[in-house]
Amino acid sequence: MDELMEKILKLQSDYFKRKQLLLILDLISIFSIFYAIFIILSAGFFLDKFFNDPRIPTGIILPIIAFIIAIMGAFFLHRNDRKIKFNFLVEGKYPELKEKLRTAYDNISESNVIVDSLKSLVLNGLAIVSSSTLIQGSVVVTKIILVIIFISAATIISLNPDKYSIPPDTVANNFKNLTGIGNENTNLSIGDINSRLENTENVGQNGSGNIFGKPKIASIEGKNIDLTLYSGQDTGFEVRDTSQASNQFIKSAAFPVDVLGSNVSDGGYSTLMQKTESEKQLINQYAVKRSTI
Amino acid sequence: MSNETYASSTRIFKELLDEIGKVIVGQHEAVEQMMIAILCNSHALVESNPGLAKTLTISTISKALDLKFNRIQCTPDLMPSDITGTYIIEDIGGKKQFRFEPGPVFANIVLADEINRASPKTQSALLEAMQEKQVTVGNKTYPLDKPFFILATQNPIEMEGTYPLPEAQLDRFLLKILMDYPTFEDENEIVNRYTRNIIPTVKSVVSKTEVLELQKLTRDVPIAEDIKTRAIKIVGATRGKSEKIEYGASPRASIGLILAAKARALMKGRNYVSKEDIDAMAYPVLRHRVILTFESERKGMTTDQVIADILKTAK
Repeated sequence: MDELMEKILKLQSDYFKRKQLLLILDLISIFSIFYAIFIILSAGFFLDKFFNDPRIPTGIILPIIAFIIAIMGAFFLHRNDRKIKFNFLVEGKYPELKEKLRTAYDNISESNVIVDSLKSLVLNGLAIVSSSTLIQGSVVVTKIILVIIFISAATIISLNPDKYSIPPDTVANNFKNLTGIGNENTNLSIGDINSRLENTENVGQNGSGNIFGKPKIASIEGKNIDLTLYSGQDTGFEVRDTSQASNQFIKSAAFPVDVLGSNVSDGGYSTLMQKTESEKQLINQYAVKRSTI
Repeated sequence: MSNETYASSTRIFKELLDEIGKVIVGQHEAVEQMMIAILCNSHALVESNPGLAKTLTISTISKALDLKFNRIQCTPDLMPSDITGTYIIEDIGGKKQFRFEPGPVFANIVLADEINRASPKTQSALLEAMQEKQVTVGNKTYPLDKPFFILATQNPIEMEGTYPLPEAQLDRFLLKILMDYPTFEDENEIVNRYTRNIIPTVKSVVSKTEVLELQKLTRDVPIAEDIKTRAIKIVGATRGKSEKIEYGASPRASIGLILAAKARALMKGRNYVSKEDIDAMAYPVLRHRVILTFESERKGMTTDQVIADILKTAK
């Protein structure tokens, strides 16, 4: 092989090895960062709740997710590495080789007095070129230091998750406050949400669920009021299928709500009666509004 | 031989330009472009106003290159045989024989002055010589001496009674060289030199063999793929639908542009073609091959302005 070609290929190989090292360092950094974030945010708890498959333990899933993110992130950061034209890169760093290197490279198979003189000139010029000048050593060192820092942090956090992780309820509330999703449930824990969601299946059957399948909480002057209307026998409310003919609809005699309770209900009515006047009024308005739909 | 010529090429070009500079004041670009056309073993068309030393420049170059120089003053009544030569009857030993009398085209450097004044028939005869490097008279073909270079001139004014060269024939000229009026300093120097008793002369600095060697070396100058691609894209940009250009340049222009860039690189003492060479040679290579639209001409645009726009956008 031509001496010049050998030199170019060697430099190119060294350069891409360094680039691969940087890719690996980035991958480790991203993995460490995301793994630590997952632990801090109690991602394992949420994963258990939503992805409850006993065959795959959470302890394995979290690192796998972090690793997948790390691979995607590292490849995204280094997506242009393969597109790098090595000769142009060298020419950019060494202006004295500008246009000469690529010309010599493109005409490597040619041999005449001018091409040979150019090759010789470029070969001499390449003597001072090294892969360390193309990728500065300081960049590699900085990345290694960052990797060490991130790995150490991730290790410390993973060894003491109770110390560093944020409670799941706080995370859920903060998430809702930030995103605005499920604001009506702000005073509920994840456990509450799940139990209520489960109860919706029994709506209208044993009186334990609410008629609309969702808990309703109104915040009045900073105080959260449960607006849930429970159905059941003698509660004054009857769950009806919305598909029923409208002419069969008869206004419930339960209005207004200040009628005395029969004390035979499952507790829903007595709960209602224990509420303050303003709450009753609010519930009344709500019930009237619902009944007209 | 090539090695020696290449090693001394930088010196040769320097001496050559210095020697020509003894007679020609200024016009460095025009002289350089004429030399490039010779190195490319091609031909050039010079356009300038009268009195700008077109004839003097080319005759000086031929003297410095030690080449045979002939001049043809083209007129409407000039016949092809006046250029190519003709058979004449000669009395040899009491016998009458036809003998071929070569015309002025049998030289190394031929100046076809005001080529657009010659009839299309005569222009064609000249253009055959340019393209084929040979002349056919009767049924016999005579090869022309090497190197062979035609420098044709055109006068941009006084277009009455002229036969403008068709585009197909213009395409055969590698370069169209423009010669402009000299600067005040140059004109002052011209006046000083040519108003004395001693008229400056030149001596030969390059042999005919060396010229041929330099022509071979020109083709050996390497070019990078991306620079070659750029050159082809520049030529390609003159084609197709455009608001400014009616007709673009042919692939012959691509060959010419790269070859001219190689010659320029060699003249500049470089052993590779630079982007700068392509940009510099794009103007003389393309300006006679690009035909502007009526709208562009109405706006007073020149082909050089259009080429400059193409170069700006070319990657």
